[in-house]
Amino acid sequence: MPLAFLAVLLPTLFWDRPVDTADALRKAGIERLYVPAGQEQAWRKQGFAASPFDRARAVQAVAPTVEYRMDVASATRVPWLDANGWRFDREPARVFFYDAPAGSAALAAAEAFAYGAEAAIRAAPEDLAQFAGMLHFLGEIDQPRLPVMANIGVLDDGSDTMAEVLNLLARHNLLFHVVPAAGLKYDLNIRQVPANADPYEFAMQIRRDLTDEKRLLRIYGSNVVLVRLTGDAAQARLHLLNYGKGTVKGLRVRVLGSYKNGRLSAFEHPGTQLEDYSVENGATEFTIPEMGTYAVVDLRR
Amino acid sequence: MHRRTFLQIAATAPAALAAKDRKVPKYRVVSHYQPAAQPGMPGPYPGQVASVHAANCIDEATEKPDPAVVREMMARGMRALTGDADVRDAWARFITPADVVAIKVNCSGAPGIMSSPVVVAEIVRNLMAVGVKPGGIWIYERFQDQVDSVHYDRYVPEGVHIWTAESTRGSTESYDPATYVEAAFFDEDDTRSCLIRLVGTRFTKIVNVPNMKDHGASGVTGCLKNIAYGNFSNVARSHSGSETNTYSFIGTLAAVEPLRSRTVLQVMDGLRGVWHGGPFSENRKFRFYPKRMLFGTDSVAVDRLLLDIIDDKRKAEHAVSVWDRSPKYLGTLDGHESNPNVNQFVREPGHIEYAGSLGLGVYDLDKIKVTSIEI
Repeated sequence: MPLAFLAVLLPTLFWDRPVDTADALRKAGIERLYVPAGQEQAWRKQGFAASPFDRARAVQAVAPTVEYRMDVASATRVPWLDANGWRFDREPARVFFYDAPAGSAALAAAEAFAYGAEAAIRAAPEDLAQFAGMLHFLGEIDQPRLPVMANIGVLDDGSDTMAEVLNLLARHNLLFHVVPAAGLKYDLNIRQVPANADPYEFAMQIRRDLTDEKRLLRIYGSNVVLVRLTGDAAQARLHLLNYGKGTVKGLRVRVLGSYKNGRLSAFEHPGTQLEDYSVENGATEFTIPEMGTYAVVDLRR
Repeated sequence: MHRRTFLQIAATAPAALAAKDRKVPKYRVVSHYQPAAQPGMPGPYPGQVASVHAANCIDEATEKPDPAVVREMMARGMRALTGDADVRDAWARFITPADVVAIKVNCSGAPGIMSSPVVVAEIVRNLMAVGVKPGGIWIYERFQDQVDSVHYDRYVPEGVHIWTAESTRGSTESYDPATYVEAAFFDEDDTRSCLIRLVGTRFTKIVNVPNMKDHGASGVTGCLKNIAYGNFSNVARSHSGSETNTYSFIGTLAAVEPLRSRTVLQVMDGLRGVWHGGPFSENRKFRFYPKRMLFGTDSVAVDRLLLDIIDDKRKAEHAVSVWDRSPKYLGTLDGHESNPNVNQFVREPGHIEYAGSLGLGVYDLDKIKVTSIEI
């Protein structure tokens, strides 16, 4: 298990550039990294905690980003997101590899962390400082993992159609969890998707069947933020991932359940606090005044 | 103030009207504001409109208004509406020196058409004449890029606020998360439209200054559309394909407190108009010059007159009526922008009657008293 040496399961930089780039890594604050097999000793001599990484054994993750595909989605309302959360949920035991172009490495790290996925991220040199900053932030907020909270249980048949359904459920923040067997724990269970089904219409029908009132989580004010929700009887943790290019301002969040207080941790926005916090009619609402790539909200009952 | 949640709109909407004509979505209206004893809409002059026409109020070639004529139009219109001999008394019926007065302009068609800076400047002058300080006056809109193109600052005294809710499109920090209308139209993720926060926290009175414009979705855009879609976030979601929910959404939004209570005066700027392609005005050939201003407190009554102004002009131009719902006229946006017989959406001019049935004003022409003034 190549990751066994890590005390904390954080995403790790994959670096296949020459050892003479070590100063750039040190300057950014990188201490641990994956390297191609055979290069680990050279990097260890430079003082890095280096391990070999076999890309062939990893699942390729897409570079997280937003795309404005005019022929597929409305640029003003429903931009296309490349996200991996549904893939992580589908294959939780696998290791993932990101080849992250400039500007995407920090989000990739946050995404993998939010879903508890093991991931190696090949970052662009110009992203090193932000990537390292994200790793530092993740280390600060890390805590024992809480159970996944979801409205929908999914029995994954492994089909491409199901893959697209999972992608769309995640895209619309319809919280699901891939499970081995249907159970009473969920409001809805998906056992199969008809082979000729339109995945979008299928996902939207699930939303209608579930009803928005029963959804564990809703967000208002952005169509480029995806959310992961975990929790137990006493607490909940929301991971909010911003796939857009800019800062999201005034994001409103509604979580089903009454939580007395909440604490915001926002990457690159230290000190920012939740606003307009209310607990009413069995739901908790608050506003995140400003968030960049990633934010976490911890709620306590 | 104790917070209340109102779930009344769909239930109290004109059931018969809605049932026979259109599907009305389920609306959930949330506001903790109480209505005023006499809400601004329809206000003290329900079913009354002062209509002032001046042939020389604007130069059609340069599109420059004549400030002196505009001043006379506004003075005559306000006096006719209120019955006061002194225009200052007329304004004082609506505004006190202690008020924080917001002027809701319309800049969606700027720079081709917008609430004229000359008209806005004259409103500011009248507000100051009744004692409102420049710092108590706010000219506002939703989108900064549109307002920036107008340069209101060149026309009003220093200290008057010029403010927009969205410096970048889609930002929501200037909206009140506790005052909103929730409805699911087309499977959109964000189902809430929130009211501009300042409407509740800062403004005590609102003067609404729409233009005379055709609108591809709602048929026309006047008082109701400007005060409704111009004060809430996330409203474009009401359109999808050739369908829109403007029929019921406009009135529903306009009726939300405190917006309804604090909007005390309607000043429709019809120096210029748009008879096709609205709310935008990129193609000058669709602009026309009604050279008319309408004054009232009843947004429905004013808009009812607007309907005929726009439709009469379209008929004169041999364009399809705003009332025509035939699918045969539906086409692409490109076609709509250049051809007045192509509709992008099925138009919903019935939104005005629907708003009337919500209690916002008088729709029946036979019950609207129009005082016509020619200058």
